[in-house]
Amino acid sequence: MSIAVFLESYNGKLVKAAKEAIGVAKSIGSDVFGIAIDNNVDAVIEEAGKLGLSTVKAAAGITIYHPAMYSRIIFNAAKDADVVIFPGTVWGREISPQVCVKMDATPVSDIIKVVDASTFKRSLHGNKIHATVKAEGKIVLTVRAGIFDVPELGDGTANREEITSEVAEGDAMIKLAEILASSSDRVELTEADIIVSGGRGIGEATNFKLIEDLATELGAAVGASRAIVDAGMRPHSEQVGQTGKFVAPKLYIAVGISGAIQHLAGMSSSETIVAINKDEEAPIFKIADYGLVGDLFEVMPKLIEAVKAAKKSA
Amino acid sequence: MKVVTLLKVTPDTETKFQINSAGTDIAEDSSIEYIIGPYDEYGVEAAIQIKEKLGGEVISVTIGSGNEEKSIRKAMAMGVDSGILINNADLKSSDPLSIAKAIKEVVEPLNADIIICGKLATDTSDSFIGPALAALMNIPVISEISSLEVTEEGVVATRDAAGRKERFESKFPVILTADKGLNEPRYPKLPMIMKAKKKPLDKKDTAGTEIRKNVTQVKAEFPATKSAGKKITGTPDELVSELVTGLTTKEKIL
Ligand SMILES: Cc1cc2nc3c(=O)[nH]c(=O)nc-3n(C[C@H](O)[C@H](O)[C@H](O)COP(=O)(O)OP(=O)(O)OC[C@H]3O[C@@H](n4cnc5c(N)ncnc54)[C@H](O)[C@@H]3O)c2cc1C
Ligand SMILES: Nc1ncnc2c1ncn2[C@@H]1O[C@H](COP(=O)(O)O)[C@@H](O)[C@H]1O
Repeated sequence: MSIAVFLESYNGKLVKAAKEAIGVAKSIGSDVFGIAIDNNVDAVIEEAGKLGLSTVKAAAGITIYHPAMYSRIIFNAAKDADVVIFPGTVWGREISPQVCVKMDATPVSDIIKVVDASTFKRSLHGNKIHATVKAEGKIVLTVRAGIFDVPELGDGTANREEITSEVAEGDAMIKLAEILASSSDRVELTEADIIVSGGRGIGEATNFKLIEDLATELGAAVGASRAIVDAGMRPHSEQVGQTGKFVAPKLYIAVGISGAIQHLAGMSSSETIVAINKDEEAPIFKIADYGLVGDLFEVMPKLIEAVKAAKKSA
Repeated sequence: MKVVTLLKVTPDTETKFQINSAGTDIAEDSSIEYIIGPYDEYGVEAAIQIKEKLGGEVISVTIGSGNEEKSIRKAMAMGVDSGILINNADLKSSDPLSIAKAIKEVVEPLNADIIICGKLATDTSDSFIGPALAALMNIPVISEISSLEVTEEGVVATRDAAGRKERFESKFPVILTADKGLNEPRYPKLPMIMKAKKKPLDKKDTAGTEIRKNVTQVKAEFPATKSAGKKITGTPDELVSELVTGLTTKEKIL
């Protein structure tokens, strides 16, 4: 069984979700190849080799994302594969259906578990139900980001096979006109190993500095509950939950967040959960591995100092 | 401007779901409220705003299985002019590619300038239909947009992709999928609710396309709940010290 995986990258670096997708591919079968499109495709191939891929089909010299062109390149490279795997990213969700249509394959989206090569688990109805589905025929999979392990780095190298791309009629209809770098140099939520999130308990926007300072000390990303996104204190791109981002970092620290079911839907798969809340009855404590019952304005400054100290002695 | 908005009517995720006796899916019982999902509401609002700015009409298209009319009337009360409803339970439960092909069959003859759908439907969260429809119709798609500007020339839309903001420009026709942040969907007002009852809704029982069931749901279960949490009480210093010790020695994160 031949398995293709789209190695989504940006400026020569694989995104985390693509590394997870490599792990999923390897758990389904051994005959796996990657598909890379990047302006620095050599770096991507090198990284993929270290993550255990032996073959990467590569389209070089493409400097900007174009959904139809990417779909065409990936279709041409993957059309003979039995399973084509995409990371659960904006690009992955945009391209995979187009490749699926071209292959006339069976789509299985947003999987959270591989049962076998054609059986997968998915999360439905805002994570209230988990379903097991069986698919027939060639399969195009997207993998929910943040759930699967990244393969360990080895010293392998991947062979490169060239794939070509040509411009097609219709490509000029649409263009990616501008990429605005994110406003901060913080890690992105869905890429992060550690996330510090703030909720309504922080009170005012200026108090969010406590969240940011702890995140800085931990090299973490910053998240937020919907309550403070709706209040305009934080951008929607930081919202964690059912209508925000789905995250599953190694460590999730929820500060002044009550733990409404819609928030939990987005973070309850995190490996270790820390909650800081002054209300002993807050639902977040039901899932917290470390539930700190206390006033965040007293606990956070001390925690920031303690993390600083712990890092120094490490 | 002719705008088509795709509406999927789905069980409210607030429902306290039960699992059916076969253990394969949620039980279809009367406690389920069927609604237009949040992302489709952003799509409806965007469509109406385009019409308000540039004139034209908004048509909704739904593949359903009998629970849809109330929600479609709600979209009409928001400002959708007319609707098409294909009522076919077999089609609705087929695989997403069959649904995309059926939607194409219905939408293509409408010659819309813009087709808007949700980033995902909250029941199955496939995030499939919009980009798939683009490939089937061979037109561009901009997915998961959180801002939109439409002129006679085309659209400019932005989205948040892995921490970057991407700004796309496209000519017509184009497919857009709506993310949160795009707008604030309006509440229907009473006169509009009355008017909506009389707006044309074209009901059919087939799109005339092949129905393929390449995906079978064999099991449905409630997600395993995380084992009961552990509360730590004490002075702020005690709390912090217990946490930091745990994170360094037990979890080995620090
Ligand atoms: C369809 C739908 C979708 C939704 N999607 C999302 C989503 O994606 N993400 C999301 O987060 N929410 C979502 N929500 C909203 C969700 O239901 C909650 O309203 C929201 O998560 C509450 O945010 P919060 O925990 O910050 O605020 P609150 O519930 O108000 O909690 C604040 C907490 O802070 C604590 N606190 C206050 N002061 C202090 C202090 N000094 N020290 C310590 N603790 C303190 C309080 O005890 C309380 O527990 C959704 C709701 C609906 C209906
Ligand atoms: N049965 C359907 N009828 C009409 N529109 C649909 C249907 N299924 C999906 N859509 C549209 O496609 C979007 C994405 O759905 P999905 O790909 O199922 O996550 C939804 O938000 C709807 O706008």
